[in-house]
Amino acid sequence: MAGSREARLAALRGRIAAMEAGTRTPTPVLSFGEPLIDGCFPGGGLPLGGWHEVTGAGLEDETGAAPAAFVTQLIRGLTDRKGGAVVWVARRADLFAPGLLGLGFPAARLIQVRARDEAETLSLLEDALSTQGVAAAVAEAEAPDLTAGRRLQLACEKRGGFGVVLHRRPYGGRAGGKPRLVSGSASFSRWRIAPAPSGPPPDDIGLGPPRWRVELERCRGGRPGGWILQAQEAGHGPHPFRLVSQLADHDVAAAEAGRRFG
Amino acid sequence: MGLFPGQKAADALALVPDLVTADHDPAADRAALEALCDWCVRFSPAVAIDGDDGLFLDITGTDHLWGGEAAMLVDLVSRLARWGVPARAAIADTAGAAWALARSGPDLAIAPPGEQSAAIATLPVAALRLGDAAEAQLPRLGLHRVGQVLALPRAQLAKRFGLAAVLRLDQALGAASEALTFRRPASPWFDRLAFFEPISAPEDLARVAADALALICARLEAEGRGAKRFEVVFHRLDGRAFPVRVGLARIGRDAQRLARLVKPKLDMVDPGFGIEVVTVHASAVEPMAAAQARLDADAAASADETLAPLIDRLVNRLGENRVWRADPFESHVPERSVVRVGPLDPPAAARWDADRPRPVRLFKRPEAIVAIAAELPDYPPRLFTWRGRSHRVRRAEGPERIGQEWWRVGVEKGQTGPGKIRDYYRVEDDAGGRFWIFRQGLYGGEDAPKWWIHGLFG
Repeated sequence: MAGSREARLAALRGRIAAMEAGTRTPTPVLSFGEPLIDGCFPGGGLPLGGWHEVTGAGLEDETGAAPAAFVTQLIRGLTDRKGGAVVWVARRADLFAPGLLGLGFPAARLIQVRARDEAETLSLLEDALSTQGVAAAVAEAEAPDLTAGRRLQLACEKRGGFGVVLHRRPYGGRAGGKPRLVSGSASFSRWRIAPAPSGPPPDDIGLGPPRWRVELERCRGGRPGGWILQAQEAGHGPHPFRLVSQLADHDVAAAEAGRRFG
Repeated sequence: MGLFPGQKAADALALVPDLVTADHDPAADRAALEALCDWCVRFSPAVAIDGDDGLFLDITGTDHLWGGEAAMLVDLVSRLARWGVPARAAIADTAGAAWALARSGPDLAIAPPGEQSAAIATLPVAALRLGDAAEAQLPRLGLHRVGQVLALPRAQLAKRFGLAAVLRLDQALGAASEALTFRRPASPWFDRLAFFEPISAPEDLARVAADALALICARLEAEGRGAKRFEVVFHRLDGRAFPVRVGLARIGRDAQRLARLVKPKLDMVDPGFGIEVVTVHASAVEPMAAAQARLDADAAASADETLAPLIDRLVNRLGENRVWRADPFESHVPERSVVRVGPLDPPAAARWDADRPRPVRLFKRPEAIVAIAAELPDYPPRLFTWRGRSHRVRRAEGPERIGQEWWRVGVEKGQTGPGKIRDYYRVEDDAGGRFWIFRQGLYGGEDAPKWWIHGLFG
């Protein structure tokens, strides 16, 4: 009985997904390789034909270092799998390629673009996403409004591009004030990234691999979640992160549901 | 009225009380001459600026477009006169003879081929460009006309006035060649479109730009070549020229793609009373193998082929210095270890050392931090304050010692030495934030060491 109920539920889910997707074929997904995380997304991973918002916390709002490191780690596997270039659009040119290389990211595939203002940043991201040969595109913007978000979504669907908007306050913009928040968004998911204290280093020398406190705040058709993730060292499998622990302050129901799917 | 160049303003005002005076502005004069030079491109692509008030046009092979040299000369001068630019013009085999005829000869003089010697014989010696000293000296010797100078033995002329004088004579007669510095180098990759009626509608501009590009691209294709830079210049009725430049990341000759790149830039073209001529010029022309479009191009196109149009769009929209790929450069100093190259340039041979940790964000200038001193000289600080927030150091790695590159040109003596050595530490604070801080200077030196933050690991 329970089995048939599961099957009926799965069929219903499939029908709803088909309705939501329209005539689109299901897009491939970027899997975390960890059932607890992948279970939060409707397709078992982050879909490629969509764009995602990544925000920082506290001072990161302006420096955007931890979100940038997280995004780099996230799209690292994407370039290996699909080939092609990564376009990074920003208004400040402080991204340091040797640092990305240190995270295992192929810096030779990175094309950096310096935009002049917010609107240009988003339109350049849109242009890059709709181009074949671009594995992923990242833009550092303040907050895209609904129209811009919808345009990004359409651009992503054209070629199955993977877009990231990294929320970052520009210089001289409302220092100390609250970041501009746009209610609702066309993005597939929204993440909040903060650094987390790293574990003991191997051999007790230096620093261990970096850790992030990752919160999935919103996900279309999925569930929110929160985890402590650690960068997967190179040569340890295809997945970019290793789950260290689940955040305690997320509701237990979500965690239990995740366990059931796993 | 008795006015002449070099007269004192007070004397001139005494002669003509209602004289209008204006300050001499050499920069504006030069800019005006350059604008005129650009306009003259409608007559010939090879135009050179001569001194403060002259232009040389190399019209070899272009006069037939006007129906002969005389018609061309009249067209040029009458167009200039229409905008109130008084001009004298002449045509001769050599630049020197044309210079002499235009300044001292009859108006609109044309020296028949090979007869410049006869044409300039009756002109004053000042027409020979011999220099101030020679021009003052020759009349004193009773030599007033060019013909008299030409009749003199060359050896004595060279002895008295220098070899330069003889060279000028030879240049005027065509016995020596004269190098002109053309404002844009003469190139065979040049085409023009002229219209019976001036055009001004934006869609017309886009169409004629596409037509002009198609002209040159067809020629490029016929010769198996492609180009990286294209310039479409719109020449307005009143002589102003509006250049629109587009560049390609890889050599190409696809007129439609170029037209799409040109189109968004047409807003900057102000047609005024109308555009009468469009010229198009291709530079960085290189051989290009013909490529057959593949039927499965969508599936199997190489990354370069698909990326090139995107790079072109970005570069033409933002400018070349805003789109780049970061390549390694052989330097230990972090801010010098990255060099910006074109996104599709071949990869560099140098490599970054993956064992040396580098931050994700590198500050353009290191920011000063207040550090609570370390326990031991080579230890990182226990606590530091940056941007008004204090961070307690939980773990650290380092130091990595980086000295200034004293062997480089431009590095002053005071910038090297022990006081300028940087010891970099990678530190992690209580919250897990990772910072790249360095100490400049050593303990026990003359100056106390200073602490800086140079980047963030995230």
